[in-house]
Amino acid sequence: MPPAGIWIDGLAQSCIYVTMAFGMVLVFSILGILNWTHGQFFMLGSIIVYYAVTAWGIPFPIGILISGLLVAALGVLIKKGILDRVKGDLYVGVVTLALIFALEGAASMLFGMEDRGLAIVLPGVLDLGAFSISYQKVAVILFTLVVMTIMYVVLNYTKTGLAIRAAAQQPQAASLYGVSVQKLSLEVMAIGCALAAIAGCIVAPLYPINPFIGRTPMIMALLAIVIGGLGSLTGAIVGGLILGFLNSVIAYYVSYLSEVVLFALVILILLVRPQGLFGEPLK
Amino acid sequence: MIHFFKTIYLMDYKNFVPKIVIGIVVFLILLVPVFTQHVVILSMLIMSGLWAIAAMGFTLVLRTGQFSLGQAAFMALGGYASAILTVHLDWPFWPSFFAAGLISGIIACLIGMVVLRVGGIYFSIITLALGEIVRIIAQNWEDVTRGSRGLITSPPPTIPMGFFEINFAASNVPYFYFTFLLAGITGLIFWRMGESSIGRAFAGVSLNKDLAEHEGMSLMKYRVIAFTIAGIFTGLAGSLYAHFLSVITPNVFGLWQSIQIMIMSIVGGISSLAGGPVIGAMLLYSLGEYLSRLQTPGLQPLLFGGVVVLVLLFLPKGTGMVDLWERFWKKIVWREEDWLGDNDDED
Repeated sequence: MPPAGIWIDGLAQSCIYVTMAFGMVLVFSILGILNWTHGQFFMLGSIIVYYAVTAWGIPFPIGILISGLLVAALGVLIKKGILDRVKGDLYVGVVTLALIFALEGAASMLFGMEDRGLAIVLPGVLDLGAFSISYQKVAVILFTLVVMTIMYVVLNYTKTGLAIRAAAQQPQAASLYGVSVQKLSLEVMAIGCALAAIAGCIVAPLYPINPFIGRTPMIMALLAIVIGGLGSLTGAIVGGLILGFLNSVIAYYVSYLSEVVLFALVILILLVRPQGLFGEPLK
Repeated sequence: MIHFFKTIYLMDYKNFVPKIVIGIVVFLILLVPVFTQHVVILSMLIMSGLWAIAAMGFTLVLRTGQFSLGQAAFMALGGYASAILTVHLDWPFWPSFFAAGLISGIIACLIGMVVLRVGGIYFSIITLALGEIVRIIAQNWEDVTRGSRGLITSPPPTIPMGFFEINFAASNVPYFYFTFLLAGITGLIFWRMGESSIGRAFAGVSLNKDLAEHEGMSLMKYRVIAFTIAGIFTGLAGSLYAHFLSVITPNVFGLWQSIQIMIMSIVGGISSLAGGPVIGAMLLYSLGEYLSRLQTPGLQPLLFGGVVVLVLLFLPKGTGMVDLWERFWKKIVWREEDWLGDNDDED
């Protein structure tokens, strides 16, 4: 049994993966595309909050808000300007893959290639007797809980949420009932990108920031939604939790092999249950 | 009657001239070392040839409807196989080169028999995971692969040819012709395969797998064949890559290289098994190489990604560069009015 600190680390990592995976699966269920650029929105979120705090002197919480809004706007622009104009699922997928390179390149030109760090916003540790947690990690976990609760409320108790759920199930029927799927997909893209940016913001004080930090969370979020079942929101959350915990707990035992075990496990799950843990059976 | 002959003549003419032009271009590329032996130009051509082979492999797998995101892993397998054979087991170059293709092909076949059952995005994720596993193992198995320091390989031995000799250590020219030969053979085999019944079987398996199965075609058989053949040639390219650069490190064959292979293939055009990947690899590799010489960090990925996005945005129906070639002949040279590609641009 690994020490509690490992589990807490795992939980903090899970928070990032869950937030990322949730946004990615939301975009997938409405737009029908896998947004491979999701990790780069995470990276841009981190970078914007870094500039907001260090260069413009904005307090961290407002920085999160600004970062979420800016990245959501960028996501809408990309959706409107590029993704809508490319025909064919294959080509849309390739465009989002190419955008990874473009956004990372743009970020390295503006931000530089080296690691930078953001000062810890909430110093101090929470002492719980047997182990202790830094306030920063507590904040990450609580904040993710709040965001997920907001998402739950929005999806289940608002008109937009109802429309999103309807359009995810039956886009044509939803549009017959007066839901503009086109408009909805823009909103969903904005929400998904904002979620990625927020995930990038809240962990910005914990990890070094550079233009390439989006890659690992993107792959992890992708694996999470695939093992959870493509198109299933519950699956995304469970998948994110599984991967986050596995990543840190296995790493405790076998160091670098943890990634091998992780990927092998994903392959195994997909071979045994290609539709994922929570997906509908494939025909 | 005269009209009939005229049509035949015209049709042949229209098939014939573009092929002659392609032949001339290939011949000119063959003559490059005669005009210039500049290291940069030659290594650029060699590397784009090697990536073109990998992109051809990707296109062949895509023909059967499977979207592989782990093609770079086969280059890594081939490269490491021949590097380990020559460095640790003291094999000569030529057996290790072919063994690399064989090992990569066998592994592709074994893996393919298990994972090709799964289709669509799930197959992509599985190959992505497999590719990453290969990279992580190469990175951490220090005793054999020397980790990120890389294995140092030696060039192929000098081949005496009577009055002159092919010396791989002295210049890049032998590598250039060797790569050209390998890419040419791969291209020819893939092109012939695409034209033959097996190529049509591949397309059938991908276009309508229910119907194909109903007609008694085994999906798995064709998928495994395509995956294995792609693995063999990608492995050979990887072996040549390792010996050409004289060092092989894990980081040159990660997920991002697999993605680049895929982008090269798609931008080049997937309607042709040989031409599209070659065009895509040559254009994108030389673009990337040129941009990375500008010494501005970040400019290379920015423009690389930007160009790919632009190509996919503005090419007719997003079909890749190779269709521009056809369009060029039909629209600009022959000025055909009723060309099929014109009518359905609207939707």
